[in-house]
Amino acid sequence: MSETDSDERASESGSPTDETTRDLDGANRSKEDVVLRVDELRKTFGGLVATDDASFEVERGTITGLIGPNGAGKSTLFNLVSGFYEPEAGRVEVNGTDVTGAAPHEVAEHGLVRTFQTPRKLEGMTVREAMLVGPQRQAGESFFALFTATDAVTSEERTNLEDAHRMLEEFGIGDLARQPATDLSGGQMKLVELARAMLADPEILLLDEPVAGVNPTLANTLAEHIERLNEAGTTFLVIEHDMEFIMNLADPIIVLDQGHVLTEGTPESVRSDERVIDAYLGGGGA
Amino acid sequence: MANRSRAEQGVLGVVVVLSALLVWGLLSGGLGPAYFLYLLGLVGMYVLLSFGLNVQWGYAGLINFSVAAFFGLGAYGTALLSAGNSPLAGGLPPLLGLFAGLALAGVLAVVIGIPTLRLRADYLAIASLGLAEVVRLVVLNQNGWTNGSAGLRAIPTFFEGWPVLGSFPEQMPTLVVDRILVTIPFVTQFELLGIRLGTSFWQGVLNVGLVLVFVGVTYLLLRRVHRSPWGRVLRTVRSDEDLAEALGKNTYAFKMQSFVLGSLIMALAGVFYAHLNLFVSPGDLEPINTFYVWIAVILGGSGSNRGAMFGGFVVIAIREGTRFLGDVLPESFPVALPNALSLVETTYATVVSNIASTRLLAVGLIIILVMRFRPEGVLPPQRELIWPRATEEATEGPTSGDGPTVTADGGDRGADR
Repeated sequence: MSETDSDERASESGSPTDETTRDLDGANRSKEDVVLRVDELRKTFGGLVATDDASFEVERGTITGLIGPNGAGKSTLFNLVSGFYEPEAGRVEVNGTDVTGAAPHEVAEHGLVRTFQTPRKLEGMTVREAMLVGPQRQAGESFFALFTATDAVTSEERTNLEDAHRMLEEFGIGDLARQPATDLSGGQMKLVELARAMLADPEILLLDEPVAGVNPTLANTLAEHIERLNEAGTTFLVIEHDMEFIMNLADPIIVLDQGHVLTEGTPESVRSDERVIDAYLGGGGA
Repeated sequence: MANRSRAEQGVLGVVVVLSALLVWGLLSGGLGPAYFLYLLGLVGMYVLLSFGLNVQWGYAGLINFSVAAFFGLGAYGTALLSAGNSPLAGGLPPLLGLFAGLALAGVLAVVIGIPTLRLRADYLAIASLGLAEVVRLVVLNQNGWTNGSAGLRAIPTFFEGWPVLGSFPEQMPTLVVDRILVTIPFVTQFELLGIRLGTSFWQGVLNVGLVLVFVGVTYLLLRRVHRSPWGRVLRTVRSDEDLAEALGKNTYAFKMQSFVLGSLIMALAGVFYAHLNLFVSPGDLEPINTFYVWIAVILGGSGSNRGAMFGGFVVIAIREGTRFLGDVLPESFPVALPNALSLVETTYATVVSNIASTRLLAVGLIIILVMRFRPEGVLPPQRELIWPRATEEATEGPTSGDGPTVTADGGDRGADR
C-alpha cells in the first residue's frame, strides 16, 4: 500500500497554478507502479465544467477509493477513463499505453474493465450464459471461425464455461448458474456483474458504486470478495457514497470536488481533513 | 417448460390443420397443384426474409425498415443479368445473378451501416426507412437501368442451362390422375382428383426444391451462429450495448456483421423470388412487404429461428388464404337474425365482399392478440444458448440431451451441399 507523508504530497501537488483561492493538494503523483494514470483531464457539458483538469494515479495492487459530494464529477471521470466520454483535454494511460479518446472496448482490451452503477440485465440469458460474455478475445466471436475452427471454438467455450462455473462458486452463487439472468435480486446482480468482470481478466477494475442499494450484510460480502480478488492481484478503483464501506475497504482515497482532485490520503487523513468536510457540507468556497 | 411444449403443440396443431386444408384443396381440385407449389415457394421466401430480419432485429436489436429494399436488390440484381428485356446485360446465367444480387445487397448494407451503426438504434431505423424509398424510387424512375414501372420480364428459371435440372420439367412425363367418385354410403358422395401434372407442375417441384435448399442451408448456418459466442455478443448488444463495450466487445463491428448477414439472406430471398415469379417490378419493393416480414418475426418470436419460420408460414397463410376465403364464405349471414342485430348482418356482408381489404385487419388483430397474451412471440428463443459441444462433457444438463453433436456436424454437411 502506498504510505505517503503529507509533506511529500504537498511538494508534488499537481495544481499550483490553480486560479482559485481554494487550497488543493491534488493527488499523489509519485507512485511507483502505476496501472492507471490520469493527466489534466477536462470535460464540459455546455457551461458546466464536469471534470476540471483532474489528475491522479492508481498504483498496482491497491484498492483506491474515489469519493466526493454529489456532482463532484466522479461518474463523468469514470466515463472519461473508460472511453464512454471523449475528454476535451488531458491524457489517460493504462499500463503505460495512451488510451485517450479510445473506444470503450479498446480501453477494455488494455486491461481496464468497468462496472455500472445500475446492474445491467441481459434479457433471455441464464446467469452462466451472461457470465460467458466476460472473457475477452474469444475465438468463437469471429464469424468465420465458427465454421473453419470449430474444435478451437469448442475447447475454448468449454474452458470458459468451467471458468464461469468456478467463478460463480467462488462468489458463493454457484446455484444461480442456470437461473434466468433477469430473475436475480439487486445484490445477486452486483455479485454476478463483479464475477463477470473478473472473467474479462482485468488488470484494473473500476467499480461504480458497488454497494448502492445493497443491504449491509451483502455489502460486507462484497467487500470481502473485493479484498480477496485484490490479494489475488487485481487493482481496484471504487466510487462509493457509503463512507463506512469505502473507508474500511480502500486505501488510499482520492477526494474529488467540483471536477478537481481535492486531496488524496489514507482514510484517516481524509476523514479528518477540514476541506473534505467542507466540500461535503456544501461549503465549497467558504 | 410445460408452457413451451404447449406452444409447440399449438404450432404443430396450426400447421397440421392448415396442411390438411391444403391437401383437401388439392384432392378436391379446388387448388391447382402448380399453384400449390407456388405458394410453398412463397412460404419459403418469407421464411428466408424472416430469417434475415431475425438476424438483425432478433439477434442484435437492429431496427431495419428496408427489408423490401434488400429483397428488391436481390431480385433486381439477378433479373438485370438474366432477364430477356434487361436494359443492362440480360441472358446471363442465373447463378451469376445470384452472386450479383447478394453482392449488391452486401455493398448497400455496408454503405448504409457505416454512418448509422455507430449511432443509437433509432438512427438506423430512420435511415433504413428512407433507404427503402430511395431504392424503390430509383428502380421506378431509372428507366435506362431498370425498365422502370414496366419491370423486367422473361427471367429464366434458376436452373436454366444446368445439365439435367435445366430441362427437367420438359422431360418429365405429364401425369394425369383420373377423377374418382367417392361415395360414403348413406351420407354423401363427392368427386376427387382429376388432376393433370404437366410442365408447370414439375417446374414448381424444382422451385420448391430450390427454396428448401436455400432455407435448409440458411437454417443450419443460423442455428450454429446463434448458439455461438458470436451470437452471444449480438444478444448482449441487443440488451445493453454499453455493457458489451465495457467488456471489450467491438459492438460496431458485431452490428455490421449482423446487418450484412441479415441483408444477404434477404437478398437471397429476392433472388429466389425473381426466378420463381419470372417477372419483377417496382411494386415488389413496396414498404408493405417490409412490414409483413416484421409481423412474421414478431409473431414467431424475436430472436428465434424456429419462430421466424413459423411467422413466415403464418403470414403467407393469411395473405394468400384470405384470397380464397371470399369464395368459400356465403355472401350473406347464414342465419336470419332479429332486426336488433342487423348490424351483425351488415358487418358480415361488408367483410365478405371486401375480404382482400380485411386481410390487413386480420394481421393487425393477430399482432394485437400476440402482443397482449404472448409478447415474447409464439415460439420464443430457447432460454439458454451455449455452443452445444461445449456443454456436452463439461456439465450435466438438458441441452446435452437433444443431440448437440448432430447439430454441429449436420451443419457442416448441410453447408457443403
